[in-house]
Amino acid sequence: MTRGRAALLLKQFNEILVCPLSKQPLRLCEESNTLISDALGVSYPIVDGIPCLVPTDGKLIETPNEDDGDDATSDSKNGDVRERAPVNP
Amino acid sequence: MKPSSSSSLFIKSIKLLSRIQIRSTRLFSTDIIDSSSTTNPKIFDRALKRRHRDRAAWLSNRRNDPLIDSVAENLLDRLQDCKREFPKALCLGGSLMAVRRSLGGRGGIETLTMMDSSLEMIRLCRESELELPDREKIETLYVVGDEEYLPVKEGSLDLVISCLGMHWTNDLPGAMIQCRMALKPDGLFLAAILGGETLREMRIACTVAEMEREGGISPRVSPLAQVRDAGNLLTRAGFALPGVDVDEYCVRYGSALEVVEHLRAMGETNALVQRSRLLRRDTALATAAVYQSMFGAEDGTVPATYQVIFMTGWKEHSSQQKAKRRGSAMVSFDDIQKHFGTPN
Repeated sequence: MTRGRAALLLKQFNEILVCPLSKQPLRLCEESNTLISDALGVSYPIVDGIPCLVPTDGKLIETPNEDDGDDATSDSKNGDVRERAPVNP
Repeated sequence: MKPSSSSSLFIKSIKLLSRIQIRSTRLFSTDIIDSSSTTNPKIFDRALKRRHRDRAAWLSNRRNDPLIDSVAENLLDRLQDCKREFPKALCLGGSLMAVRRSLGGRGGIETLTMMDSSLEMIRLCRESELELPDREKIETLYVVGDEEYLPVKEGSLDLVISCLGMHWTNDLPGAMIQCRMALKPDGLFLAAILGGETLREMRIACTVAEMEREGGISPRVSPLAQVRDAGNLLTRAGFALPGVDVDEYCVRYGSALEVVEHLRAMGETNALVQRSRLLRRDTALATAAVYQSMFGAEDGTVPATYQVIFMTGWKEHSSQQKAKRRGSAMVSFDDIQKHFGTPN
C-alpha cells in the first residue's frame, strides 16, 4: 500500500509539481525524505507523505565545497544566509 | 533556456528566499512590515493566515458549514454548464472540504490535486477522503503550497478551482496569472472570492464601538475586491471569455459573538499586516452590543452578509470565439435591414 502510494506520488510529482520559486522540476531524495530543487539548491520537506512546497518551508542546501563566490547573489541585507551558485540545468 | 535568463531567475528567487529565511530566523513575530524592500505591497499576513487555517481545521471538525457548502455547490454547478471534461484538476485553498464533498463526479475529474497553505487542513482532507463512498473516489494528490507561489508545472492542468481562498492573497492578479500559466490551452479557471459588501454590519459595528471607546479606529475587516474589479482582474490576468457574477448570502446568528466563532471556524479572521494586535474586552463587548442594537432582528438574531464573487475564465485557445477586429465589417447595416425587412 505504502509502496504503491509512493509510486503514485512520484508519478504525479513528475507530471504536476515543480519548485514554487523557480518553476523548475523537483527531485525526490528518499534518504532525507525531501524534494530538492536543483535549480536553486533548496529542499522542501515531505511531512506525513504530503509535500510542503511553501517557500518559507524550504531550506537552502548547504554544500561542503563552496563554489566560486557569485557576487551578484550576495547582497548586503541577506549576507547572513549562505548561498551557492546554481547547479547547471 | 538561455543561461542569462536562468541565472537572473535564480538571483531573483534566491533574493526572495533569503529574505523569507531572514524573516523566519530573526524574529518569530509575524508583524514585520518591510515595505522598503518589497515591490508588492504587503497587505495580508500570510503566515498568520496559515495558522488561522490550521485552527479552522481543528475547529471545523468535519462539521458541514451551510454557507461554505452552498458557495461550493454554486461554484461547482458551473462545471455542469461545460460540455467538456476536465481530467486534471487543481483545487486551491479556502473551503477544500466543501468542494470535495460537493464535487460528486462533476466535470469528469480523474486526478485531483488539493493544495492549501495549512498542513492540518490537508491532513483533514486526506482523512475525510477515506470516508467517501468508493464510487466517488478520485486519484488525489495532496500538497501544501501557497497560492502566491504556485508549485505547478506550466500547462499541466485542465481546471483550477479556488473556493473562498484568493481574497487573502497579497497579489491577486499575480496569483491568477500563475493559475493561467498552470492551465492547458482551453483550460478553465473557476474562483469564488468574498466581495466588498461582506461583513458590512461587522465593519460598521467595529467602527462605531471603537470610535466610542478608544476614540479612533483600526482595520478590523480586510479590504475586499469590488464586483467591478473582478472583471478587470480576469482580463488583466489574461483570461479569455471572462465571466463574473455575484451572490449575497445572509446568515442569521444568535449573537455577534457567534459571528466571530463562525469566522474562526472558517479561518476568515483578520490577518491584515497593519491590524491592531490588541482588542480590549470592553471594546469587544461594545461592538457586540452595537451590532445587536443596530442590526438585530426582533427575534434576537443578528444578520451577517457575505458577498461572494464568482469568476470564470478560460485560457486562450483557437477554438474560442473572438470579437472581430474593429473596422473589419464587410456588410452595411442598410443591407441587413433590407435583408430582414423593415419592421412594419
